[in-house]
Amino acid sequence: MAKKVAVVGIGHSKFGKRPDVTIRELAHEAVFPALEDAGLSAQDIDAVVVGVAGDEFAAQGSCAAVINDYIGMQGKPLYRVEAACATGSAAVRTAWALINSGLAETVLVVGAETMTHVGTPRATELMAKAGDTRWEYPFGVTFPAFYALMATAHMHQYGTTREQLSMVSVKNHKYGAMNPYAHLRKEITLEEAMKSVMICYPLNLYDCCLISDGAAAAVLASEEKAKKLTDTPVWIIGLGAASDNMMIAERESLTSLKATRLAAEQAYKMARIKPEEIDVAVVHDCFTIAEIMAYEDLGFCKKGEGGKFIEEGQSYIGGKIPVNIDGGLKSKGHPLGATGVSMTVEITRQLRGEAGKRQVEGAEIGLSHNIGETGQYCFVHIYKR
Amino acid sequence: MKFGYASWLPETNMMRKFTEELANGRLMGTKCKKCKTKYMPPRIQCRCGSTDMEWYEAPKKGKLLAYTIIMYPPESMQKYAPYIVAVAELEDGTRLLSHIVGVTPKTLKVGMPIEVSISKVSEDRITYKFKPST
Ligand SMILES: [Zn+2]
Repeated sequence: MAKKVAVVGIGHSKFGKRPDVTIRELAHEAVFPALEDAGLSAQDIDAVVVGVAGDEFAAQGSCAAVINDYIGMQGKPLYRVEAACATGSAAVRTAWALINSGLAETVLVVGAETMTHVGTPRATELMAKAGDTRWEYPFGVTFPAFYALMATAHMHQYGTTREQLSMVSVKNHKYGAMNPYAHLRKEITLEEAMKSVMICYPLNLYDCCLISDGAAAAVLASEEKAKKLTDTPVWIIGLGAASDNMMIAERESLTSLKATRLAAEQAYKMARIKPEEIDVAVVHDCFTIAEIMAYEDLGFCKKGEGGKFIEEGQSYIGGKIPVNIDGGLKSKGHPLGATGVSMTVEITRQLRGEAGKRQVEGAEIGLSHNIGETGQYCFVHIYKR
Repeated sequence: MKFGYASWLPETNMMRKFTEELANGRLMGTKCKKCKTKYMPPRIQCRCGSTDMEWYEAPKKGKLLAYTIIMYPPESMQKYAPYIVAVAELEDGTRLLSHIVGVTPKTLKVGMPIEVSISKVSEDRITYKFKPST
């Protein structure tokens, strides 16, 4: 039986275009509110785990060391974790393991990324290089193109429509508009979403997440510490992680992410719950098709019925399982290293009942799902208040 | 001869052999002699740990599994845009990613029969691509 680990403090920077700061200042914006929330100061922290996906985006090598110094944690054990777009969740999992192993009692997790400073063409180029540079990049496969391939396969196999894809975007923008930390706080209509400029068919602009700067932080603690620190600990009761083939053509399915299915199975088993017991979830919606596949692969609906799930409004507050009601990657933004930690922050907020207008009444069990690249990494965490 | 529209990895012995065969009209994969796993595109070491591999000629016919029309390419591919990237399954069950040509958005369909054609991109570059099969 694993030892219990809780989230006891959370902090979040404003996500968006942030030419006013570099990665160190962004991290600071998230870290100190998290420490304050936990009622701790730097000397109470046993170890620091920093998640940054790409030094090239920040134009700074060894970002973790820079951040660790800037937030006054010199002297502590310091870890840098990287798992592409799932970096933040890999960092949370690492912190959990440090505490569970007894190596630390209280761990600070920081996820941060600056992506807009290099400019959009450079960012597109850097992300395209996440594909296999021997066999995929030579064909000019952009990052959204990998998900677009899955989208045409899904549309063909299950009759999923472009309209259903856009419906995911409309929902995430509706809730993102209510989230003060979100990048693009603006509601959109289905018509606007459908008519936006085509990026790579069938995905248009509103099917794609934003390029953002941002940071998020969380303090994790052992059961003994957590009970001393707070009356509202949020326990991480299940974890799952998995990976998949590098090249998309080699995957056993183009309409499902195997890493999600494997990670979810582990997490549900460890938490001893079923998908229908989840009260609120944040899933990896880098592209709208990714959210539809996540509904299916996480067991929120049957395989092939993800399009129907959003069309029926089942992922809205009041539906079967509210999903991405913080705006998701789509509207809140997706600063790679920050995203997974931001997911932990959102679920903690929901389970504490602190989500304001976006609150799911009486939420007790939450789930976060974070994909790295196009399915090469996946982390699923399950939380309980 | 270099492979594809853009690349910067070193031209290893395997890649030299692969592009040389392509230039002669053959699409070659490799097969592990120990566990019989086929690799298309080729690798020189098997996931089972074996390094005892042999080359084989892959079938050129197959069917389209997925596609996307890329309107905003990476910087290095700007002059080719828009282009269509597709994944196809060849007749022996292996799968390949490439461009598809000779189609319009209207004629492009998941499941359509395709064949692999080989062509030069420039003086020193060669690639394979899909086209509709008759
Ligand atoms: Zn083998």
